[in-house]
Amino acid sequence: MKLLELLRGRAVVCCVGSGGVGKTTTAAAIGLQAAAEGKRVLVMTIDPARRLANSLGLKELGNLETRIDPKLVPKGELWAMMLDLKRSWDDLVKGQARSVEQAERILKNRIYESLSTAMAGSLEYIAMEKVYEVHASGRYDLVVLDTPPTTNAMDFLHAADRILDVLDNSAFKILFGPMMKAGKFGLKLFAAPSGIVLRTLARFTGAAFLRELSDFLMAFEGLFDGFKERAGKVRALLKSKAVAFVLVTSPNPLTIQEALFFHRALKDDGIATAAVVVNRVQRDPKRQGGPDNVAALREALTLAQIKDQDGLAERLCQTLTEQTTLADVDRREVARLRRELAGVPLFQVPRLRKDVHDLAGLWQIDSFLASATGGE
Amino acid sequence: MSALIESILGRRLVVVTGKGGTGKSTLSAALALTAARQGKRTLVCEVAARERVSELFGKPPSGPKIHELLPNLSSVQVRPREAMREYALMTLKYETLYKIAFENPAARYFLAAAPSLSEIVMLGKVWWHAAHDLDRGKPRWDVVILDAPATGHGLTFLTVPEVFLGLVDEGPLARDMRGMQSMLADPERCAICIATLPEEMPANEAIELDQALRKHGFPKGPLFLNACFDSRFSPAEVAAVTRGGPLLLAAGEAADNHESRAQLTTHYEKVLRGAVPREVVKVPFLFDRGGFGLAAVEKVAQAIFAAA
Repeated sequence: MKLLELLRGRAVVCCVGSGGVGKTTTAAAIGLQAAAEGKRVLVMTIDPARRLANSLGLKELGNLETRIDPKLVPKGELWAMMLDLKRSWDDLVKGQARSVEQAERILKNRIYESLSTAMAGSLEYIAMEKVYEVHASGRYDLVVLDTPPTTNAMDFLHAADRILDVLDNSAFKILFGPMMKAGKFGLKLFAAPSGIVLRTLARFTGAAFLRELSDFLMAFEGLFDGFKERAGKVRALLKSKAVAFVLVTSPNPLTIQEALFFHRALKDDGIATAAVVVNRVQRDPKRQGGPDNVAALREALTLAQIKDQDGLAERLCQTLTEQTTLADVDRREVARLRRELAGVPLFQVPRLRKDVHDLAGLWQIDSFLASATGGE
Repeated sequence: MSALIESILGRRLVVVTGKGGTGKSTLSAALALTAARQGKRTLVCEVAARERVSELFGKPPSGPKIHELLPNLSSVQVRPREAMREYALMTLKYETLYKIAFENPAARYFLAAAPSLSEIVMLGKVWWHAAHDLDRGKPRWDVVILDAPATGHGLTFLTVPEVFLGLVDEGPLARDMRGMQSMLADPERCAICIATLPEEMPANEAIELDQALRKHGFPKGPLFLNACFDSRFSPAEVAAVTRGGPLLLAAGEAADNHESRAQLTTHYEKVLRGAVPREVVKVPFLFDRGGFGLAAVEKVAQAIFAAA
């Protein structure tokens, strides 16, 4: 079965997996296929390989939806957008804040700055938030998200909870409540009944750090409910049938491990993995048959009237052995993945001679996404 | 061994940064092995959730306690929770105080909102081992090797003191952050290395990482170009063998694959040498059937040793 058929009826496809496994390429190939069927498709990417981005006409960040040259896309429409995470956060804050002043106060806070760029889960959360927004706009038949390279699958699925935990300032109110009511926030903070906790923390972090942190949490005062409602909608979308998760991996044991981890995390949340794509699988040259030892290679060279100079037969033999080793390792890893993901359609894309950085390359990948191997 | 490698192994803190999957752990292990063989008491600090260095040496995970893997070579996993506790206890002195402040649920929530506090304490622990961990008045470790988190995060990790000091300039943490910052900026005591691969994304990331590291003034260690393929066939040979008929189909494909990867190596080596003003140390691709172990570390150590 074709990957695209498996994804029929879905409005959002999330390509998930570790960094450098070809998520962007896979997302773009899926988008191109769907567009070729006449759909309006948006591919959202975060940090794509530059040459691929350039060939798609994506030159800069900034959340701009850019249409790929219609001459290159046979039927429907293919749009692409490079997600600017910081800007998306800023937009979200501006949209939720009750006043321009409140938005400004948050945007200028230095803790907010690191929250929006560095905090675990914040990239994942804002990416999903953006998907929700674009999906809800109804502008596209299909949105394909190339997710940020996550080091922890949980970050992705529970990013919203984590962010909400941080912004939920009930804990903050327990510590600071009395002073906030009295309107005497500042140095007096440490004289409150909960003062011993704060004083002790301050001995460790310094009082200024605590003040900066409490400023930040205070700036969010009143926004929590809005954030929570929105996050609830994002989560509901993630868990709905409208969204398909495609695991993307390479045969590298580390990335396979990550993919499996991801799969389990999805399962724990009651979400089925729609498909798994294994990129860059080394093909075994020996599948072609022919001699594979030095003596036989030498004979084959003679037959083909090629001079066996500078140990050509030996070099060929060594190269064959090395690549068979690579192919064996890959085969073993793919088999492990297949065992662990019994029932999930698996697609293998062989290691191509060159990196994919144009539409021709994407079409080439399409042929490999046309048939799942086992699993069904 | 190149003068630069010789020099960085004489510094107190060597950091290996780079994108995930570029072989940082194997390189950290190989650098550690090289240092240990020179008689230096060496500690490898891992910050990843899954330890790899102890595994490469065929030993069980060290966890948050230091374990010796080989003579002169130990490793430790730096975990945020334990690091926070150790660090807080050092400052607060009393377990009771630690419990009051850090085990209070409200305070825990509050601290969870403090971005990068876990990075701060993790880096703090690494720095402490490099700068203040004494044994009878003398440094316990000659060199501490930090297997840093993957890029982006790796840089975030190293710039934590800078960011924190932008927020706060008093208190014990700020004092320690200044200590860390000065060590991280000192070419006598520290070096930051980059690991990358001859592929588009990792190479681009390495170029960006190098620029960012230089912008922040971190002392330059080498750029390790990992998993290199050396050219083995001339273009004429590849052409002849691929056209050599049915008997040579497999050999032709293998030779062609090999050369296409060798070309990628040449291409990205050139790109990197052009864009990154650092010594480039090439490490060969390792063909390993049984997963990476001591044999792989040995081969990487040889490549590091052979660097001219």
